[in-house]
Amino acid sequence: MAVITIDGVKLNVPDGANVLDCALENGIYIPHLCHHKDLNPLGSCRMCIVEVEGQEGVVTSCTLKAKDGLVIRTQSDEIKRLRMLALELLLAGHPEDCSTCPKYGNCELQMLIQYIGPKTGRLKMRVKGFKENTANPLLVHDMNRCVLCGRCVRACNELRGVKVLDYHKRGMETYVGTLHDKLLADANCRFCQACAEVCPTGTIRDKLATTEKKREDYIVPCKAECPAHAEIPRYLRAAKEGDMEKAIAIIREKLPIPRILGYICTQACATQCKRNCLSDPMSIRLIKRYAADKDIEHKWRARSKQLPDTGKKVCVVGAGPAGLSAAYYLRKQGHDVTIKEALPTAGGTTAYGIPAYRLPRDVIAEEVKIIEEQGVKIECNTKVTKPAELLNEYDAVLMAVGGTVGVRLGMPGNDLPGVLLNADFLRNCSMGKETGMGKHVIVLGGGNVAFDCARSAVRLGAESVHLACLEAREKMTADDEEIEQAQEEGVVVHPGQTFERITGEDHVTGVDFMKVKAFYFDENRRAVIEKEEGSELHIEGDTVIFATGQKPDLNEESGFKLFRGAWIVVNDNTNDKQTSIPGIFAAGDCVYGTKSVVMAVQSGREAASQIDKYLGGDGDISEVLVDDKPGDPYIGVIEGFANEKACQPKIDPAEERKDNFRLFDHGICDEDICKEAGRCLQCDLRLQIHRPHTWGDYADSKEA
Amino acid sequence: MSAYANAKALGRDAVLDKIAALDLYESGVYREKMTDHIAKAKAAAEEEGVQLDVVAALNNADTDMVYLQLLREVPEKVLEGCAIAALAAGAQKAVLTVPEKEGELAASLREKAEELGVEVVCEFINIRKNQTNLLVHLASCADLADAFADSYEPGICVSINGEPLKKVPADAKVSDVVDLTGAKAVQVGYAYYTPEECSATVGELNPANGVIRVLTDKNCIVDDAAKKTLACKAQSCGKCVFCREGLIQLEFMQNEVTQGRGKMEFLDLTSEIGEAMCYSTPCSMGQQSAKISLSAMSKFAGEYEAHIKKKNCPAGVCQAFVMIYIDPTACTGCGDCMDVCPKDCIEGKPKFIHMIDEFECDRCGKCVEACEEECIHITTGKVPKLPDRLTKVGKFKKRR
Repeated sequence: MAVITIDGVKLNVPDGANVLDCALENGIYIPHLCHHKDLNPLGSCRMCIVEVEGQEGVVTSCTLKAKDGLVIRTQSDEIKRLRMLALELLLAGHPEDCSTCPKYGNCELQMLIQYIGPKTGRLKMRVKGFKENTANPLLVHDMNRCVLCGRCVRACNELRGVKVLDYHKRGMETYVGTLHDKLLADANCRFCQACAEVCPTGTIRDKLATTEKKREDYIVPCKAECPAHAEIPRYLRAAKEGDMEKAIAIIREKLPIPRILGYICTQACATQCKRNCLSDPMSIRLIKRYAADKDIEHKWRARSKQLPDTGKKVCVVGAGPAGLSAAYYLRKQGHDVTIKEALPTAGGTTAYGIPAYRLPRDVIAEEVKIIEEQGVKIECNTKVTKPAELLNEYDAVLMAVGGTVGVRLGMPGNDLPGVLLNADFLRNCSMGKETGMGKHVIVLGGGNVAFDCARSAVRLGAESVHLACLEAREKMTADDEEIEQAQEEGVVVHPGQTFERITGEDHVTGVDFMKVKAFYFDENRRAVIEKEEGSELHIEGDTVIFATGQKPDLNEESGFKLFRGAWIVVNDNTNDKQTSIPGIFAAGDCVYGTKSVVMAVQSGREAASQIDKYLGGDGDISEVLVDDKPGDPYIGVIEGFANEKACQPKIDPAEERKDNFRLFDHGICDEDICKEAGRCLQCDLRLQIHRPHTWGDYADSKEA
Repeated sequence: MSAYANAKALGRDAVLDKIAALDLYESGVYREKMTDHIAKAKAAAEEEGVQLDVVAALNNADTDMVYLQLLREVPEKVLEGCAIAALAAGAQKAVLTVPEKEGELAASLREKAEELGVEVVCEFINIRKNQTNLLVHLASCADLADAFADSYEPGICVSINGEPLKKVPADAKVSDVVDLTGAKAVQVGYAYYTPEECSATVGELNPANGVIRVLTDKNCIVDDAAKKTLACKAQSCGKCVFCREGLIQLEFMQNEVTQGRGKMEFLDLTSEIGEAMCYSTPCSMGQQSAKISLSAMSKFAGEYEAHIKKKNCPAGVCQAFVMIYIDPTACTGCGDCMDVCPKDCIEGKPKFIHMIDEFECDRCGKCVEACEEECIHITTGKVPKLPDRLTKVGKFKKRR
């Protein structure tokens, strides 16, 4: 340790420590620009100059090492003059249009000007004349705003080891760029965006930056987009290193049914993956599936949280994703949890909605087993009709009944024999019961459930399967993969159609459609459909399946305040899931409508936390299942990294899969899995980089 | 036996002893006793706990590059010296660095360099990456080779007025090694000196880039300083604020003065920026390049004042102050001048007095040579009244 004195303040600091960092961390502001805590000192901007007792002149504090007895002054007339001169020199080549700069208000240079004072205007100003470069994905470069602090160069070379950015000279102007001004992707950039993170000015900027989202959310969009905020970059990193045990432990910290999700998650995360801007998004779901499939030993259980019994009893109604998740965490908080499930097995939508060819039933059984092993009791074939009465026996109740009733659209012929509802059809199909389906099937709807119906119909032996929906092809909510695979299996897709009528006298004979010319919502948020004249289309069929939404099997007799006669009203969907009956909470699709399994999981997690609090707990359901050190910031060079395509899963050809309910997607193979995980940009590494110290931070603390 | 072989045979300690005994100096900007120079670098490397390399190079600030003559004429000497320096310092690696643009020169050295275990690279020295290395000047390398071939001759290697390099004694007066007849100023290294200052020794003024050059009445100090500063601006790597931006400002001000747009406040601003550059930059590029403007402005302020206040270049070099005009009383309207003017800026027709458009004219002087009547004049002084429209030969005076 060394005792140093800065402006009369004695500080105990490590011997040899960077004096500028010591000052900044101890509440003493020294202006600086080229220095950044995570980068090697450069000493080029001369803003951080100080005077050292017993030494003539000034020295840069960023390159000064702490030594016992060092006495420095950060302010003097000479220091002030030289800082001003340095600032004036910097600004001579910097545009004067702060107010139009995207970095306005967050610019370190701007804050430096506020601290040092306005320049005198005695120097020759110049315009560097670089063109703003928007040709690269994710990053914008405006070299006119660059003050050549060199932070990006050091971040790219020293911190990341990617070695893409360097100083170059064009004519008399020095600038930062790639060799021969190549596009970043061609220069083997890894798009870690550390350069944008450390840039003090508006020179290197995120294309995706927005004031509408939190910083962490646009920097790591996959995690932000996941309803459960799973630590995606962290588990992809573990998978890249081949450590699947660690990967599944990280996944399980947020997701109690990861294996189910590994097969069927709609992966909103991947839609926001920044890789979309470069090549293919990360195969996040398939990597999760791989890690979950390999998880035989369940080593994560060693650190799984289980609080002592509280003596409180909770009943969860419905063993779907929301109910199972809530029950699992409630049990871990020490409560006595019983799930009451109307159907013969647990799983809810995952077992009775999603077909077995997408999600094998043994996967569900194993996930349920883990939850039961935690101590959750599941009573199947137990339909709850009077939820309020459960409060006689239980301290709290959670309604997680999902949406189990299909919605029949109001249109002529909608109750003819041969008209089926999605939920019934898929449930019967899953249970091996008679579905009532004929030979020629028309599915109405364009979501994933509609495709589950259509593809199940193919597998049940339908001779023709048509699927029609109102939305245009690109607006269909089903996953592209789902649509394409259905088409391969022979499903004929008709997007952009209005459903005119179901034809037939005493049985369905077909459906009349018309082409949609325009479909939008008016100022009153009412749907307006304009039809194309003369576009009548009749498709013959003996079966119509409505796949146009589902609703909970609830009515006023349930005693809850309901929304549109079916959905349970809660106080606040995020923060207070209590229903109109005190002590009864609700979560999942029965609250907010049909969404996704992972959203139900998150809803269940939130409900568990809130019920725990209601029962006197602290509501903290978080857990750490594995020791994880921060990712290595030195990511190094990988040739052609940006253009790497996704590793494809092994999928059985349509001919082999369309006559049975066997799993046809076998996931990513052992050889490819680490490679696929290695494609991750590791956007989260950027969050390790320290935020800049600005004068404002110090001014505020003094006033406060 | 070669110098390197001799040194190798002697062993490291004896090599250091010989360097001390011969009183060898590091050449260039960082002139000091070679033994001290080596010791300092070793101490820096030891403090950081890293291995020291030897890097032989020119000073970054050197834009004249007269010392490259050594590499062209006696390359083996420099390479051997570099290897000897590595031996003396106990370095593992020896690197010879040539300026970025000298790729061909570097290529021509590689074969010989390999034999001596010297790596040859083309780059601008990054001073920050070499803080724990022993930087040795190319001229010092030549000295080291001489020392171990027993052909060492004490002194500083210089090129006087562009002549080939030769050794002059460090304790000789500058005025004794160069003819000061007609001298207005003398460039020694990176600064200008008055003839009076040349009573100092060569060692004191230290021609760090090997240049001693006399400037006479025919040379304009401002123009000279502007050109040199421009060369520095082009050579600076641009990583440090004071060097990059400082040179841009200095060059701008020098150039403005030569263009007749100078202001007296430039003098103060130049010294403020220039002095700050000397101690606010880490390598010779910023430290030395500022001295060009600083010495020119402080010692030859009169010449600057003439440019700025009197709008006159006493040496007649700065073309902004030079006027070319056709004497209206002597012009015969022959049209010869029009024919040779590359800028097409002479107006006239047969038997009419020709006129030069002074805005278009770039003072090339071709018309002056072409005029058989010798009626086109170059002047830095006053220009007589000239016709403002085409006037018949002989009518000019009468019309007034």
